[in-house]
Amino acid sequence: MLDLLVIGAGLAGLSAALSAAEAGLSVRVIAKGMGALYWSAGTIDVLGYLPPADTPVEQPLARLAGLEPPHPYALTGADEVRASLAWLQARLAEDGLPYVAAPDEANLWLPSPAGAKRPAYLAPAAQSAGALRRTDPILIVGFLGMRDSFPALIADNLSKQDVWVRAQMLSIGEITNRRDANSVHLAQGLEDPRLRQHLGKELRRLVSPGERIGLPAVLGLDHHAEVIDELQTLSGALIFEIPTLPPSVPGMRLYRALRERLRGHGVRIEAGMEAIGFGTEGDRIAWVETETSARPLRHHAATYLLATGGILGGGFTSDPAGNLREVVFNLPLNAPQERSAWFRSEFLDPRGQPIFQAGVEVNASFQPVDGQDHPVYANLWAAGGLLAHADPIRERSLEGLSLATGRRAAQALIKAAAVPATP
Amino acid sequence: MHATSWQSVDHSLDACIKCNICTSACPVAAVTDLFPGPKYSGPQAQRYRENGQLTSPDHAVDYCSGCRVCNEVCPTGVKIAEMNARARAQIAVSEGIPLRNRLLGRNELLGKVGSYVPNLANFGLHNPVSRFLAEKVMGIAREAPLPHWSVNGSFGDWMRKTRADRLQSDKKVVYFHGCATMYYEPFIGKATVAVLEHLGYEVIVPPQNCCGLPMLSNGEFPAAKSYHQHNIAHLSGYARAGLPIVGTSTSCTLTLKEEAPELLDMHDEAAQTLRMGVWDLFEWLRELYEQGELPTDFRSIEMILPYHAPCQQRAHRVGKPALELMRLIPGLDVRESHAACCGIAGTYGYKTEKYRIAMDVGADLFNFVTEQGPPINFSACDSETCRWQMEHGTGIPSRHPVEFLAAAYGLYDLAQRTLAPAV
Repeated sequence: MLDLLVIGAGLAGLSAALSAAEAGLSVRVIAKGMGALYWSAGTIDVLGYLPPADTPVEQPLARLAGLEPPHPYALTGADEVRASLAWLQARLAEDGLPYVAAPDEANLWLPSPAGAKRPAYLAPAAQSAGALRRTDPILIVGFLGMRDSFPALIADNLSKQDVWVRAQMLSIGEITNRRDANSVHLAQGLEDPRLRQHLGKELRRLVSPGERIGLPAVLGLDHHAEVIDELQTLSGALIFEIPTLPPSVPGMRLYRALRERLRGHGVRIEAGMEAIGFGTEGDRIAWVETETSARPLRHHAATYLLATGGILGGGFTSDPAGNLREVVFNLPLNAPQERSAWFRSEFLDPRGQPIFQAGVEVNASFQPVDGQDHPVYANLWAAGGLLAHADPIRERSLEGLSLATGRRAAQALIKAAAVPATP
Repeated sequence: MHATSWQSVDHSLDACIKCNICTSACPVAAVTDLFPGPKYSGPQAQRYRENGQLTSPDHAVDYCSGCRVCNEVCPTGVKIAEMNARARAQIAVSEGIPLRNRLLGRNELLGKVGSYVPNLANFGLHNPVSRFLAEKVMGIAREAPLPHWSVNGSFGDWMRKTRADRLQSDKKVVYFHGCATMYYEPFIGKATVAVLEHLGYEVIVPPQNCCGLPMLSNGEFPAAKSYHQHNIAHLSGYARAGLPIVGTSTSCTLTLKEEAPELLDMHDEAAQTLRMGVWDLFEWLRELYEQGELPTDFRSIEMILPYHAPCQQRAHRVGKPALELMRLIPGLDVRESHAACCGIAGTYGYKTEKYRIAMDVGADLFNFVTEQGPPINFSACDSETCRWQMEHGTGIPSRHPVEFLAAAYGLYDLAQRTLAPAV
């Protein structure tokens, strides 16, 4: 029997799995498909906005201290968020994927794929060089023929926000000989040193002295650091990445770093395993079943962590009548009763949309609770986008929440799973 | 407490959120432009397909190998591989099936005919002149790893010859051997019977047909349907009586469980009964192990063994039971491959226009196998065509996990592929 079964392979599930594995627990991660990190920009966003105020948050960790329950950050506390960030940052640095924060616990402001200023707390080193607080001018280079990549739009929007920026285009033929390539294919292609050599020389031709160069985030997948270093040497300029639409290479790098760490602890991530049922013994979950090609497969564990995401990640769903349901354990949801109450009449209402703040209620140890604040199951914990009372997309808090709640839930269940010391 | 996750192939189309995770994981799209990726050929082109239409909106779907990695990684449960298989069948209906594909689909017939005169058949198939002609006339790649007919009789011959020696027992299990074991690799069947009898089970080998997968892959659905109907007639009675039906060819067991019923829309009671009665051999052995009924008095096998769980095994969505059980064998240092696919995908890599693609897809796996040594004596894999491809790509002999299990019980000689004298 496992010590822990994690359901969900996003940042919450993987952080919890890794924390538990580091504490010596036997862990398995199951997921319906590949996790939300493939959709993520690869940054760790802690808090960018605190709706309904639309002024950006400059000092996210300081602001967390002021958050009141039931916001999940009020349950973790700012110190736990700080500790979780340091924990992740240390591991990623060891794995050759260094992450950088702004000085003085401030947010980094980075260019989005549309040229907006995007608040992030930790960013891969390759993105942090794009920080918009820096005053050195920016050359954005794109590739004609690359889908969903619009350097002129980025430059135009940034220059309206007083950034000194210009855009240049190269043919996509400079970095691939494919007729059609997505961001992952481009990133894999640039692991070929010959292609890098060529691109580096082209960049040197385009760049003016003192400029830094922003490129779409396709600068290598498994040999990313090498690709960046070489392009900087060849071009003589500082180079940074701007995230693309999914599949997101920086998100995949983060996923792969965590996956490799988990493999090192003997933890399997089983994709394609959708949880479809469970059984109980008293107030405990006895097993979870996943769908297979025939009969369901049972997973037995001492503790369970639910990290299946919110309405976007698939952690809960609704029927055509608008009844919301948490998909694995049918946990009680804090959510609008009527479908008509999911959305307010104004799309950009400063209070946000109620459906995006819906989710599972947990207690201070991150155990899902019923209406009387009792844990629904004695050996079940929950973390990440599934939790109620946050609005991660609007707050720009998804990764920080996932990381900190995943770690806190793991700490609680590690204590519960600990075998009592024999006298 | 069961939710159902079943949704029809057509309905699953609506679950696609265009995230491109499938395309970033697709081993074929990674190495060739000829296949644009699962998202385009699957859910996107599907919107332009309807039953009975005379022309296909997307002929590139012919370059889908059917490996099902897309299904494994899809976070929203789209049945991409099935969509592609149906699209290929639609092309076959509207444009006819090339003779080569009809031939490659007829594994059972080829096996049977060749096994009457195996020496002559092997000479006829494997001499350079006929391979040259097969390439020029039929489009079967000259270098492709086609199998050799058994020159010591078929598995059926051996079962008949040794009938008097076979174990009688109250505990019974049904064996689905598949065409490759029957005509090319009878030693896999002998090892399986030896293991099952060692566990105290009487092995029933009823009349059975090809599972139909080669035909499903080549778009010949009506012929596949006839095979599946025969298999239902031959086998569902055993399933109804509660006897497990185990198979050593993981793609055959997957077809009996899922591919045939889903692609052919055969969901009646008998098809469903058969589906629920079929097990991949190691999936079933793991159940025995978990119930404490699998003896683990293994002999030591001192070697490093690179093991690849093939796509069709992973598509069962039962984890990697062969890996788990082989790791119980003392001395055996089983190294797990994380390569997506060996490339061969049944008959895909035999085709002249796809041979190079298949070898490029398999490159990661071939490198993995050779990098584990030297010395590497064997690799292991649950699927016959994948083993042949791995041998072709690495020059290292490949074995089925049951051969290792049989050897660990002292029943089998791994090098000679013969049963120990006492069996």
